[in-house]
Amino acid sequence: MKELLATIKQNKCIAEGIWAITLTLPESVGKIRGGQFANLSVGDGSFPLKRPLGICSADGDDITLCYQLKGDGTHLLLQRKAGEKLSVLLPLGNGFDLGDAKNIAVVGGGVGIFPLAAVVREYAGKRNFYSYIGFRGRQYACLENVFAEGGRLTVATDDGSMGVKGNAVQAFLADYKNTDADLIISCGPPVMLRALKSALKERGITTKCLVSLEERMGCGIGACLVCACKKTDGHNARVCKDGPVFDIDEVEL
Amino acid sequence: MANLSVKICGVGFYNPVIAASGTFGFGREYNELYDISLVGGVSTKGLTLEPRPGNPVPRIAEGKSVILNAVGLQNPGVEEFIKNDLEWLRTKTKVVANVAGRTLEDYQGICARLDGLVDMIELNISCPNVRAGGMALGIKPENVEEVTRLCKAQLKSTPLIVKLSPNVESIAVNAQAAQRGGADCISLINTLTGMVIDIERRRPVIANNTGGVSGAGIMPIALRMVYEAAHAVSIPVIGMGGITCGRDAIAFMMAGARAVQVGTANFTDSYAIPRIVREMDEWLNSHKIEDVNEIVDTLKLN
Repeated sequence: MKELLATIKQNKCIAEGIWAITLTLPESVGKIRGGQFANLSVGDGSFPLKRPLGICSADGDDITLCYQLKGDGTHLLLQRKAGEKLSVLLPLGNGFDLGDAKNIAVVGGGVGIFPLAAVVREYAGKRNFYSYIGFRGRQYACLENVFAEGGRLTVATDDGSMGVKGNAVQAFLADYKNTDADLIISCGPPVMLRALKSALKERGITTKCLVSLEERMGCGIGACLVCACKKTDGHNARVCKDGPVFDIDEVEL
Repeated sequence: MANLSVKICGVGFYNPVIAASGTFGFGREYNELYDISLVGGVSTKGLTLEPRPGNPVPRIAEGKSVILNAVGLQNPGVEEFIKNDLEWLRTKTKVVANVAGRTLEDYQGICARLDGLVDMIELNISCPNVRAGGMALGIKPENVEEVTRLCKAQLKSTPLIVKLSPNVESIAVNAQAAQRGGADCISLINTLTGMVIDIERRRPVIANNTGGVSGAGIMPIALRMVYEAAHAVSIPVIGMGGITCGRDAIAFMMAGARAVQVGTANFTDSYAIPRIVREMDEWLNSHKIEDVNEIVDTLKLN
């Protein structure tokens, strides 16, 4: 874990309201695991907080982070040009531990697909992935090729403009019996993760399921206790340091 | 290299830059980024007698050059701190235990528990986030004096800092109240109470609705209050509020602070404190000042 002044290699729109920024790090930060994230400055002192963004790919000293245009900070970020420098703190969080799983179901919704893409990219050809990725409509779809390279891909859209109509959880549930998944990994909006958790319970699916959570953060390294989530044992966990990846049974969603 | 060490209430700090409570945990996480013995001291995450779960999330929001937080004193309780973190932290730097409570008895109890174990105790009577505790005690001068007196009576060896809230009628009057109550030192300012609204949802961003405002945007207010408080009391003052660079820290010391605390800047730049220490040294060297203590309270009013 280091904070570095990275040089922007590319910053481009990859779908409606979704941008991918590639940064060249001045030095190595060691191995980055899929599901880890980076805390990225937007490059303006009037924005004191860095933005926690899932690492979408790591290729040598180049890392790519994807972000959705949401508030003033991300709108500022899209104006940053290649060659400019931004401060970035990484790698943060635990990431997905695939263990010995050979066949992995990937359930991702919206911007939740980015950390999942890093996992599939790293293990494509070595593990088999059944991916179910959901978007609101085709104009928001991106990174399908990454998931397709990992195995079988089902795209779902809320409006049916691409792939099957519905969301990623529905697509996964419709196809689950046709897979031999020994691990489920998921990331997406809270409502999606809640739906996944209750569906697994209702259907008696006991396959291990790991979810990556999102929360507003301060320090990003576990010191400030801003990004708390509730564990089912009643204790708090820090999304940034103890997570962002948790066993779905371990956390309240 | 200028002398950067300062002495406050008999406690020698290696340099005058202390990590502010709530932004630095108990130091372990930042020590993964750099050796925190570079930090003058650490004011711990606010401690209470019993563990606290804190507020619902979101607990943080951003405004222009400021952040707001409402963590609600989540902490593992003083016993866990003593058992797991205190000894290690003392090997690194000076330890200021920031303490809070729901009742006067809580404050007395935690002070008695920590007496002699830490370098200084900092009373958080100004945390604006916990309805039952903090705020009520920090507003009225008579309450400030009372809680200070009761806590001071519990302390045989550890000097007492009272951390003042800026959300008050007169910072000078409250500073004097702390001094009358027996405070050995005051620190200020704690956060200002504020709100950020998500206009699309027509709701405050923070679950608690309001939060404590900190960061560069509050520094002029903090400087003015530190100046007023420092000139109202004879005990030492630790200044804070929006420091992001060495020159900011120098300004607080000129206004009367004997040391400073840095909080929000740690989020913007993880290496903020060692950088600020370095920048202070550079400024002193470039002005041919050999000892940082020479700049304290040297402000000349117009």
